[in-house]
Amino acid sequence: DATAGTSSDCQPCPCPGGSTCAVVPKTREVVCTNCPTGTTGKRCELCDDGFFGDPLGQNGPARACRVCKCSENIDPNAVGNCDRETGECLKCIHNTDGFFCDRCKEGFYGNATASNLSEKCKSCSCSPFGTVNRQTSCLQVTGKCQCLPHVTNRDCSACEPGFYNLQSGRGCERCNCNAIGSTN
Amino acid sequence: PRPDVQPLPPGTHLLFAQSGKIEHVPLEGYDVKKDQAKAVLHLPEKVVIGVAYDCVEKMVYWTDITTPAISRASVQGGEPTPIITADLESPEGIAVDHLGRTLFWTDSMRDRIEVASLDGTKRRVLFDTDLVNPRAIIADPVHGYLYWADWNRQAPKIEASYMDGTNRKVLVKDDLGLPNALTYDPQSSLLCWADAGTHKVECMNPTRSDRRTVLEGIQYPFSMVSFGKNLYYTDWKRDAVVVVDRATGKESDQFQPQKRSRLYGIATAYAQCPTGRNYCAVN
Repeated sequence: DATAGTSSDCQPCPCPGGSTCAVVPKTREVVCTNCPTGTTGKRCELCDDGFFGDPLGQNGPARACRVCKCSENIDPNAVGNCDRETGECLKCIHNTDGFFCDRCKEGFYGNATASNLSEKCKSCSCSPFGTVNRQTSCLQVTGKCQCLPHVTNRDCSACEPGFYNLQSGRGCERCNCNAIGSTN
Repeated sequence: PRPDVQPLPPGTHLLFAQSGKIEHVPLEGYDVKKDQAKAVLHLPEKVVIGVAYDCVEKMVYWTDITTPAISRASVQGGEPTPIITADLESPEGIAVDHLGRTLFWTDSMRDRIEVASLDGTKRRVLFDTDLVNPRAIIADPVHGYLYWADWNRQAPKIEASYMDGTNRKVLVKDDLGLPNALTYDPQSSLLCWADAGTHKVECMNPTRSDRRTVLEGIQYPFSMVSFGKNLYYTDWKRDAVVVVDRATGKESDQFQPQKRSRLYGIATAYAQCPTGRNYCAVN
């Protein structure tokens, strides 16, 4: 308050990097108005949208604001891609999931961090007849679905040799062919 | 204690969101009075995406993805008041129907378009199908139309419907990239959009199919408003509001705030409401 007439009327802005500040009328709260690049908040203690960190070290050691790190599985045209403090990725794309969009989401398999889109996450597409409890999820990397007894293939879509009736939904049954009358 | 609104001086202003605040810059005629730009509202903990203005009650409305919430405050000096806080994930575009006293918004994670009264009551889902990345949304209260854009990279589109959600149709789907910004000018009946993928500003009369390019080679538009002969869009690469003369198709000015960070939603705070009666009031 420059009109109070004391030597402490004007005080330096409590902002990093020599940022300017403003006093909000009524509440008299001081807000920094020109925080260093990538930072924001009353005291420049937060990261801007698209960045994460803890620039003033409010929760542990100070971490400068960095661009969201999401294994190239976010869209740069989206807003709110990661948590501004922890960096947790919030808008994973390409069927990925996880803190850094670094694994395939439920029901998909492959290499979430591959640079080639075709090697990224593919649908498990488990065969509903051959899969335990008709599950739609599979092993992250290999994509193996959990097959019923005597069912084979990655997606549990076929019976083992010598077995039949995948459609039963209970696994495949032994053919029980007579050894004498069969060709092999 | 919450930071309060700095009352807006009389006249027409542009309101835009940047890094924890909503700024205003006065318009004199169509010129941007850069030296008079000032924060209307400090929201230091929020990431504000969409901004809309109600010329009747002189209120600014905004979406924020940090809470997430939809809030409003009087530009004549008032407290920010959240009006919608539940069942939101990534509220982005926001539009006010000043005649029907309703609010429309898009949510890019719930993939929805919703409507509510200006106080947040009577909330209803308008659309929850065929939406992937809905962002900009615009109301034309005089004709009762709603327009929105979806920047889905696989199939970007601009759509329209009546304001009650009936008569939904795709207006544009060819040769679009990332149509982030959309605006409707009631005087010229032109729907214009700015595309961060094709780097173009284009316009069309939505009832005819007379699409034309206004400007090419723009950088990264996020949000746009029309006012009279001009278009004003925020740009993520330039960290600026860019002024485009719609008739000549030329960039005529830019305003770059001192703080360098991305600019999001933009709205016009009119001195007076545009004339016109509501479609529903007439029928």
